Amino acid sequence: MAQFHLEMKVNGKAIALDIDPGLRLLDVLRDILHLTGTKEGCGEGECGACSVILDDELVDSCLILAPQAYGREVITIEGLALNGELDPYQQAFLEVGAVQCGYCTPGMILAARVLLNHKPKPSQQEIARAISGNLCRCTGYAKIVQGVEIAASIKETKEGVSRA
Amino acid sequence: MPEYSIIGKSVQRVDGPRKVSGQAQYAADLNIPGALCLKVLRSKVAHALVKEINVSEALKVPGVVQIFTHADIPGINSYGIIIKDQPALTNKVRFKGDAIALVAAQDEASAIIALSLIEVTLEELPPIYDVKAAMREDAPAIHDRGNSISAYRVKKGNVESALKQAEVIITGSYTTQRIEHCYIETEAGVAYMDNDLLVIKAGTQNPHYDRRDVARVLGLPMNKVRIIQTTTGGGFGGKLDISVQCFLGLAALKLGRPVKIAYDRHESFISTGKRHPFYIDYTTAADKEGKLSAVKVRIVGDTGAYASYGPATLLRAAVHATGPYEVPNVDIEASCVYTNNPFSGAMRGFGTPQMAFACESQMDLVAQAVNISPVEMRRRNIFQKGAVTATQQKLDASIGIGKTLEAAWEKALQVMPGLGDENI
Amino acid sequence: MPDLSEYYQPQSLTAALELLAKSNGKLIPLAGGTDIVPAMGKGELKANGLVDLSKLSEIRRISMDDSEIKIGSLTTFAQIETSPLIQAKASLLADAAAAVGSPQIRTTGTIGGNIANASPAADTVTALVTLDAQARLDSIKGSRRVLVSELLCGVGKTNIHPQEIITEITFKIPSTGSKTGFIKLGRRKALAIARMNLAIIVTLDNGKISFARVGLGAVGPNPRRYPVLENSLVGQSPSESLIDEFAIEAEREVTRVLGSRPSAIYKCEAVKGIARDLLKKMFSDSGQGVV
Repeated sequence: MAQFHLEMKVNGKAIALDIDPGLRLLDVLRDILHLTGTKEGCGEGECGACSVILDDELVDSCLILAPQAYGREVITIEGLALNGELDPYQQAFLEVGAVQCGYCTPGMILAARVLLNHKPKPSQQEIARAISGNLCRCTGYAKIVQGVEIAASIKETKEGVSRA
Repeated sequence: MPEYSIIGKSVQRVDGPRKVSGQAQYAADLNIPGALCLKVLRSKVAHALVKEINVSEALKVPGVVQIFTHADIPGINSYGIIIKDQPALTNKVRFKGDAIALVAAQDEASAIIALSLIEVTLEELPPIYDVKAAMREDAPAIHDRGNSISAYRVKKGNVESALKQAEVIITGSYTTQRIEHCYIETEAGVAYMDNDLLVIKAGTQNPHYDRRDVARVLGLPMNKVRIIQTTTGGGFGGKLDISVQCFLGLAALKLGRPVKIAYDRHESFISTGKRHPFYIDYTTAADKEGKLSAVKVRIVGDTGAYASYGPATLLRAAVHATGPYEVPNVDIEASCVYTNNPFSGAMRGFGTPQMAFACESQMDLVAQAVNISPVEMRRRNIFQKGAVTATQQKLDASIGIGKTLEAAWEKALQVMPGLGDENI
Repeated sequence: MPDLSEYYQPQSLTAALELLAKSNGKLIPLAGGTDIVPAMGKGELKANGLVDLSKLSEIRRISMDDSEIKIGSLTTFAQIETSPLIQAKASLLADAAAAVGSPQIRTTGTIGGNIANASPAADTVTALVTLDAQARLDSIKGSRRVLVSELLCGVGKTNIHPQEIITEITFKIPSTGSKTGFIKLGRRKALAIARMNLAIIVTLDNGKISFARVGLGAVGPNPRRYPVLENSLVGQSPSESLIDEFAIEAEREVTRVLGSRPSAIYKCEAVKGIARDLLKKMFSDSGQGVV
């Protein structure tokens, strides 16, 4: 079995590991780094529960092998409330009731973050498109879309403070 | 409306902060160092007798600790919410996906290799996928008790004479499909022994029922089994049934070591309960004003290989077959039937969505026949104060459905351009 | 999890080609991974080893020279979808890239991978064959250019040699004033594999169509051009009746290709709908899709 020396940044921290190169990024995050906020829902890119941010882009961590993240920066849900204070996305989702079972929530919040990084004031259609790779079976999405809108306004008022 | 301090106010979820920060631990997130990995060997055929299970080659795989079959069940090998008809590990296959053997290994890769090396000798039986075929007298029995589990009847007034006098009679046949709940979290759990206490942590909607069935299957007193519900990533009725609980309990008890299991999406689809497919024959009688005079409904629900919540689902179907409409004469029969399909159980609405599809379609067809709008058809028949339901309950307190209908119609006019011509 | 005995992450194209040349067909190139990673996980694809192309930034770019657009094979769908150059000069390809999978799949999946995977429903491939795009294939022995349509030879099959990598896709920019469009029919708005997709290019001269290209995907084993449909447009003026005639012609072609396959009943009807929707949009006066 081959070995791969993986170096990447995860939530701002440099990581160096020797891994089996057949591991998906998801496996390394969950099983080795114990960052279990990233979920597996389908293992084939249909549900988006495993979404993470890779160099400012949203990816399904079940669809890429960990070595593909070599030299890159990964942000997981655990990387958001670093100082113990919830960030605008997390606050907004809580406030509006966009969280039910919570299993899709980390992926949804990361999708929202990527969207707002590129587009601070998105329309409802743009929000719907940005979360179109993330399935939720509880909410019917209306509250999630609302949550992203609220996050956008919280972010606006906090401009400069937000890490995003 | 007066202002209240609690009523009418949004309350933040207590588990919300943990969920938005990724800290909430679902079953598959639990990490017990040294826990063995469990994998289930599932049948690829739908109906068969298990003649022999040879695990000797599989046991030789490095990393494999133990392999369990029906012969290893210490208690009574059957569980189920309403009828105890589902074995934890079976000696008779009743659907594609029935559990035959359980592998405990040090890692997932060895467990998967072991699965491929277990030799199962089957005597295949003709599978029955169709409810009507399953109901025939000469159909092979999927369970000893026969294929028809239960039938429910709701009768009121005299349907035959109402049908004779009716000005409009509409008859339709409706079928609905099997549906997977598809909660985003697949089934998972861990188990370990705390001295002589078996502790199972799993994603479930039914820890108390789980406890009863696990104790029964493992031959343990109830006070030696503890089920802890982990944060659960959706259920929608699908996590009311036992999934991983007995496997976890069996392996932890027999091996005295911590164990862990997690289904992938494929296994979750194959092995867990579904929404019941319904086969509905629906006759509606009305006068020329669209006022309902009678309905005659025959419902068959395909509960698949195991009963699960099937009997209750079909009971609900019978009770709700008339929808929210007052019908003076009612003749409803609902049957719950075994087949060799995946088993069906509880899913949001519990048999009523299927009935709504048939009932509301019939309402549209009657409206068309008497030339009134679908919304007017409903106005003329909707439950009012004092109405008597199909089950003879007099609704003499408040009835909100009429208001709901008007509010829904108003909203529909707002959001659906082009609607409104029917508003007579 | 795939049991890989070898894994390489070359830093240059030359190094990647050398690895493939030496491997005797044992190594598979890994681009975005969105198709082959889950396929390996399920055991549908057995790979002895992989050559991970993710560090080859030299083939992840879009450029234009004279009348030709060049897209590095590792360019992602998201890059193509948002490229001002592609949007301006070949919007059908930007639209096709935007129709792929989900945002997550578009940031990861690559155009080269879409060709190599040879799915009958590959969205960008329908646009590429309509553009008469060529793929450049490199190996240590040299390079060759092949029409994308000729590279594909069945479901999941290509003429790519085991030592070769698709490095670039090129196509001539449709002549100024042409209109291009792409439409996808999926079961859902997102995360749907195309039930059918259709790409069209038309060039107008004095109100008459002087040049037409029509590509259909998820009808045959690979997306391809349909000359009969192209000919039905050439020489005609955009009109309601032309749209209707084209839709009927499209139905006839799809019927002919699908024969008695189970999907025929649905697709023969559905192709009329997507044909009408797309042509209507292209013939409207909006500046959308104009080169």
